[in-house]
Amino acid sequence: MRAVRWGLGSAALVAVPWIVAATLPGQQRYVLHVLIFTALYGALALSYDLVVGHVGSLSLAHPAFFGLGAYTAALLATEGRWPFAAALPAGVAVAALVALAVGVPMFRLTEHSFAMGTLGFAIVTQVVATNWVDFTHGPLCVTGIPKPQVGVLRIATLPAFYWMGLVVLALVALLYRGLTTFRLGRAFHAVRDNETLAAAASIDPLRYRMLAFVIGGGVAGGVGALYVSYVGVLCPGELTVSLSVNLLVMIFLGGVGSLRGVLVGAAAFTALPEILRMAPTWRMVIYGLLLLVIVIRAPDGLEGLIRRGSPLGRRASGAR
Amino acid sequence: MALFETRGLTKRFLGVTAVDAVDLTVEAGELVSLIGPNGSGKTTLFNCVTGYLAPDAGRVTFCGRDVTGLAAHRIARLGIGRTFQLVSVFPRLSAIENLLTFLQQHQEESLVGRLVRAPRVRRLEAAAVERARSLLDSVGLGGRAESLAGTLSYGQRKLLAFAAALMPDPELLLLDEPAAAVNPTMIEQMKAQIRALHRQGKTVVLVEHNMDVVMDISERVVVLDHGQKIAEGPPDVVRRDPKVVEAYFGR
Repeated sequence: MRAVRWGLGSAALVAVPWIVAATLPGQQRYVLHVLIFTALYGALALSYDLVVGHVGSLSLAHPAFFGLGAYTAALLATEGRWPFAAALPAGVAVAALVALAVGVPMFRLTEHSFAMGTLGFAIVTQVVATNWVDFTHGPLCVTGIPKPQVGVLRIATLPAFYWMGLVVLALVALLYRGLTTFRLGRAFHAVRDNETLAAAASIDPLRYRMLAFVIGGGVAGGVGALYVSYVGVLCPGELTVSLSVNLLVMIFLGGVGSLRGVLVGAAAFTALPEILRMAPTWRMVIYGLLLLVIVIRAPDGLEGLIRRGSPLGRRASGAR
Repeated sequence: MALFETRGLTKRFLGVTAVDAVDLTVEAGELVSLIGPNGSGKTTLFNCVTGYLAPDAGRVTFCGRDVTGLAAHRIARLGIGRTFQLVSVFPRLSAIENLLTFLQQHQEESLVGRLVRAPRVRRLEAAAVERARSLLDSVGLGGRAESLAGTLSYGQRKLLAFAAALMPDPELLLLDEPAAAVNPTMIEQMKAQIRALHRQGKTVVLVEHNMDVVMDISERVVVLDHGQKIAEGPPDVVRRDPKVVEAYFGR
């Protein structure tokens, strides 16, 4: 029964390009574009939640890892003429290695200092991307980033990118599930919930924090590399702190520490601003009000609402 | 050779010497109580020997190995288990998961093995679950295995923390006030648990304020006052020692 539901669900997701073409003929490109962004944001939010939701470290460095992967892949593909199949892993590796190097001093800081330290790192990375013009092209952006080609498979059309996004999201979700359940998950959660007791249970808190930080950073780098191959242009503005804010909104309003919650959050907060384009003047106002309503009515995120099984939460449980 | 030993162990906090050149020797299979007035340095001593505080001077040896200044998780891995004075569990994990968390690091597996749940890891997990169930049964929490630890009563959490510390079968168990703030029935249960451990040949050191418990179950009592060891011996001898009486009641 479960397998059947999964099968049908996956088939529906795979068939989306045709469904969209049949139902919204004029809007096809736009809808697919939003869906591709949703998939990439979903993968990025999951990688971020590994650090924030599962080992409880409020890192603000995620845009930097996304950017490192993006710049590595973009520059290797344009100036180095590297094929996509090599540029993508290079993006992952550079982001993960930098996460490793940055994590060692950062995790000497606790809580708020850690957040500040990682924020500082994110800002430095963006400043370097903006000002090291000889290397990154600065505000002139890296342009003409080629579309991915792996062997004979060339990903150039919107449906192709959509399927690529779907595959990537599925792989990241599998990785996320593997890391956050069973033995590894328990060790992560022990560190998050009570570091002192975790050490008494022979768990090395630093080791597990680093593990989540480096894997999260590497995945963010990979998403960055895929992102530039889709968009074709990379500007330093992609690395701003506002990316951290977006990701925080997604995971906290979706449901921190929960696969479904984070995915729902990523989908809701990628699609929502787009849907609100229909009311251009009031768009940001409505967006802000919706955020407020969710925070008040569902302090544990949309995932909490889904679990309680009611569309806007009952008064008793929703209002505290 | 003693199982566990401290020599000249000293810890200072801004000029206050919390633990002052303490020599403590524990033989394998002993049941020792560490007592003393509030602030006499008992918990600080525990924290120094389990890696939560770095001692300023002195040495700690366990099974003939110098473990002074090792990180807490390394000392735990060597076979020294401990509980905490303030009841300490993982509130968002179920009772049985709390116990499982304590064993898995001792069965360290490759990262990939754990990620893909290799057959070997699954077998270890199944064995661990079995052990956890029997330990939960033995402390009377068998029926609450799937309850989140945060939903258990204070006494139940204390028993859970105790059972969790037993999970990796430590050679030496340090219990920090196992009977504090626990109701009389639970105290009897805790005493029975500690006695049972002792019968199995485990080495236990406990910090305890409840004199009934201390006098009832310990073979040997060590008394600290102002960080110094002032007396040591069988319970009824220590009880009559004038220095001990003075430390507790004043001159």
